[in-house]
Amino acid sequence: MRGISILIASAIACGAIGCDKGKGGSPGLGGPGGGAREGVVEAWKKGGLTPSPLTAAQTPVGKDCQSGTVGAVDVLVCVYPTPAEAKAAEEAGLAWVGDTTGAAQARGAVLIAAADRRKSDPSGRTINQLMKLAPK
Amino acid sequence: MVRMRTIYLAIAVAVLALGVPADAGPKGRQVRYVGIHPIPKSEGGGICYIEGPHVHIFAANKLEYRDHRGSNYFVGDPVAYGYDGPKYAYKGHHPIHVNAVVDDDADDTEYCYIEGPHYHYFEPAVADTDFKLAGDAYFYVGEPPPAYVEARPAMVKINAVYTPMVYTRPIVTVEPPSGWIGIRAGIGVPAAVVVDDRPAAVVVDPVVRAGVEVHIPTPTLSIGIGIGGGTVVRDRPVYVREHDRGHRKYKKHR
Repeated sequence: MRGISILIASAIACGAIGCDKGKGGSPGLGGPGGGAREGVVEAWKKGGLTPSPLTAAQTPVGKDCQSGTVGAVDVLVCVYPTPAEAKAAEEAGLAWVGDTTGAAQARGAVLIAAADRRKSDPSGRTINQLMKLAPK
Repeated sequence: MVRMRTIYLAIAVAVLALGVPADAGPKGRQVRYVGIHPIPKSEGGGICYIEGPHVHIFAANKLEYRDHRGSNYFVGDPVAYGYDGPKYAYKGHHPIHVNAVVDDDADDTEYCYIEGPHYHYFEPAVADTDFKLAGDAYFYVGEPPPAYVEARPAMVKINAVYTPMVYTRPIVTVEPPSGWIGIRAGIGVPAAVVVDDRPAAVVVDPVVRAGVEVHIPTPTLSIGIGIGGGTVVRDRPVYVREHDRGHRKYKKHR
């Protein structure tokens, strides 16, 4: 009984806060939309940004989402079956941003959300780069 | 007893995990913006360089911002707040095609009511014949629509914000082109325009003061931007020659 309880608790906690579901290859870039997401991350790197490894995130924003940081800016990258679905998820992306400076923009079938929760990007230049560098 | 404690612990962990989701966030305080804009001093000051749609937790004022699809779009001069990116000089009132600036498909023309030389971080479209480039500055020579005229009495109050601000404004050295909104007849009702014959107070930032000659031609005539409402116009043609100018190397900022 004790073991079952701990297992249940772990499963629920994992579901709520997100656990890595990466499938091989680049750490954290797996999942059904890995290719599109990898394109975004590569574009960021080419543009001089240094994203942390992305890890799978359970979030209402989408079913295939991964999160990480770029500098000290929190990022969430979600992949959808169609560009229209990514566009429709922008509102949910802004909800993920919460009460801070941030943005949530669709780029094709990918939604990119960025939140400056640590106030590390007061001029917004990093967030601007995150959005501008992502492939359309 | 131990079994019960374990169950309670498991429930507590589950409730904690579900009750504080990592990515939940109320957006009730979010204020939407699109394009580059100043940040209030109370929030640290400076410029926000995010060009696309984004959110902050501070409000926008009514004089310097216009609504664009539910977002606040800044129509003022960002250089006055420390903007250091590519910039383009304008003189007088002019339209802003917001959708072209922010690169979306929501057709939206707003108007800038800043009098005299000022900057924006965008330039008119190449095909826009309503603007003429003269002396490194854009002049609006189009036909202003009723929307511009109707909003003008309220929106010219933006000049009360900018007039006292000390910053390096563009220096315009040429006569305005014919058809410029500042000199054309029939725009609004130029009620009792008074021309101030005294030498205009030319404020030149200390940074550019060295090597600058100021020529005030006489007689002077100005009907300018203060059209409507019995305005005393002091914006006479003032020719300023700045030595060793040699700039205007701006590129399109998009």
